[in-house]
Amino acid sequence: MKSKNVPGMNVDIGGIELKNPVMTASGTFGYGEEYNPYIDINRLGAFIVKGLSREPRSGSPPPRIIETAAGMLNAVGLQNIGVDAFIKEKLPYLSGFDVAVITNIFGETIDDYIRVAERLNGVPGIAGLEVNISCPNVKKGGIAFGDDPETAYEVTRKVKNVTDLPIIVKLTPNVTDITRIARVVEEAGADAVSLINTLKGMAVNVETMKPYLNNITGGLSGPAIKPVALRMVWEVTREVSIPVIGIGGIMNAHDALEFLIVGATAIQIGTANFINPRATMDVLEGIQHYMVENGISDIHDLIGTLTVE
Amino acid sequence: MTNTIKESKKSIVTARIVDHYEVARNHFLMSLKVPSYFQAAVPGQFVMMRVKGREDPFLPRPFSINFLNSHNTGTIMGILYKVIGKGTTIFSRLKKDDELSVMGPLGNGFNMPPDRKKIALVAGGVGVAPLSFLAEYLKRQTNASAQGIEEIVCFLGASTSQLLLDRGRLADACSKLMISTDDGSDGYHGTVTELFQNHIDSYTDNDSIVFCCGPDPMMTGVAGIVKKYSIPCQVSMEERMACGVGACLGCAVRVKSHGDRPRYMTVCKDGPVFDSKDIIWKQA
Repeated sequence: MKSKNVPGMNVDIGGIELKNPVMTASGTFGYGEEYNPYIDINRLGAFIVKGLSREPRSGSPPPRIIETAAGMLNAVGLQNIGVDAFIKEKLPYLSGFDVAVITNIFGETIDDYIRVAERLNGVPGIAGLEVNISCPNVKKGGIAFGDDPETAYEVTRKVKNVTDLPIIVKLTPNVTDITRIARVVEEAGADAVSLINTLKGMAVNVETMKPYLNNITGGLSGPAIKPVALRMVWEVTREVSIPVIGIGGIMNAHDALEFLIVGATAIQIGTANFINPRATMDVLEGIQHYMVENGISDIHDLIGTLTVE
Repeated sequence: MTNTIKESKKSIVTARIVDHYEVARNHFLMSLKVPSYFQAAVPGQFVMMRVKGREDPFLPRPFSINFLNSHNTGTIMGILYKVIGKGTTIFSRLKKDDELSVMGPLGNGFNMPPDRKKIALVAGGVGVAPLSFLAEYLKRQTNASAQGIEEIVCFLGASTSQLLLDRGRLADACSKLMISTDDGSDGYHGTVTELFQNHIDSYTDNDSIVFCCGPDPMMTGVAGIVKKYSIPCQVSMEERMACGVGACLGCAVRVKSHGDRPRYMTVCKDGPVFDSKDIIWKQA
């Protein structure tokens, strides 16, 4: 339904053509069936699938989530059906939609990442890979791949070498200098970066003196992290030339616009989906409305327009 | 070929409170005006609710449906809940005409196999909420279709007599209402699990079924009893939830698996009602 009044929303993320910059964040939208009753998936810019590993993963024992001030902690433990079951059981359903399907992948070793990337290469219906480098590297004592520039470089490079798909590297905020990791993965061949993953946190039940999460620590998401995410996205956009995808506490179009203005080419909606299954649609319509109101005919005239006095 | 969406999409609805009061200490009954499609809800299903226009609490809260009534003025949904934490405290302060955002009905409810003649409902505390709905639902079905249900016995337990919720409704809907209180202020002096155990001889594996909801130790106890006598039992589980639709995988419950790997299901999408045999009970 293109008309003269509808502003140009399409963006290019390192070779992945999106009809608009609104994506679902990995792990917050299942495999599509969960939210199909609530939204028209065809209207999304991209659908990022729940993180896939080589083998299925059971995930962590409960409790897995706890609400915190303006957000939530989760320790789901990367539960997923594994790459093979995804291709066989879930991808056919997602392929039925007119939406770019991006598969998020992760591993415990670099070899795991390579295997998953190889498995997905050439599979019809996949537009790109998002490489989650926030998980612990078992061969390096559990230090996250994305916490160490050398490992971040190596995993990016090796995944890039085994895939023809554009790769987006998803960065962890739990680092001293996220721009350094961003530069390194760009150098290693990343076609785009997405940030931020959740911030590591914890919460304690003072009645029982136990942590609320079985895993003790978990990932903080929601509006509580948005200012941190926005700052990091702004910093990274000034340091790299590849597209940056903004993630972190985006609840509405206003939040999404902030990310676009500081330089994000696209944005992902995560935790907001849990509160409002229509959050992606509301954000999309809100961005369009803002553009029409402000006479912006193309989204590129909005991206990176931050004015600093 | 794209998955074209012809049917209208579900949405979160705004529901107005038509009645709200404290039925017993710290326990409230909220009645909400909901769209007529809620009438399709089955006992055991739940809704996710948030106070409209409020950012805090952040996540919606799950509540099982306690009743659904249709009047000429519309459909009224009842939510019976206990004040536990921040979310329920805020809900408890809401007044008539306040509005909530409601998503649902969600999840899988209780499922009545047609060959069962004797039904036992085992309810602990506020866990009675979905079971009074079920009792009335089954009674209506029995009247309407002359289904072979011979009796519905409800075992209702609480810490003290004042907290025996929905007593009147259960007495009306069930063939028999058996009471237990932890402090002996009414009925059997002890837990509802013990009370149920004392009557287990009335039930057999070929004609009976148990529907159970209550605190974890109570459900664990009931699950242990029915296992011993091979009586089918459905339990309504509870876990902290975020999305309510199976996306966030937050409300995991451990279930039996064939291999070595632990297996989790979601309370929201795979449940909240499970076969008690499928659950790995903490002390079972």
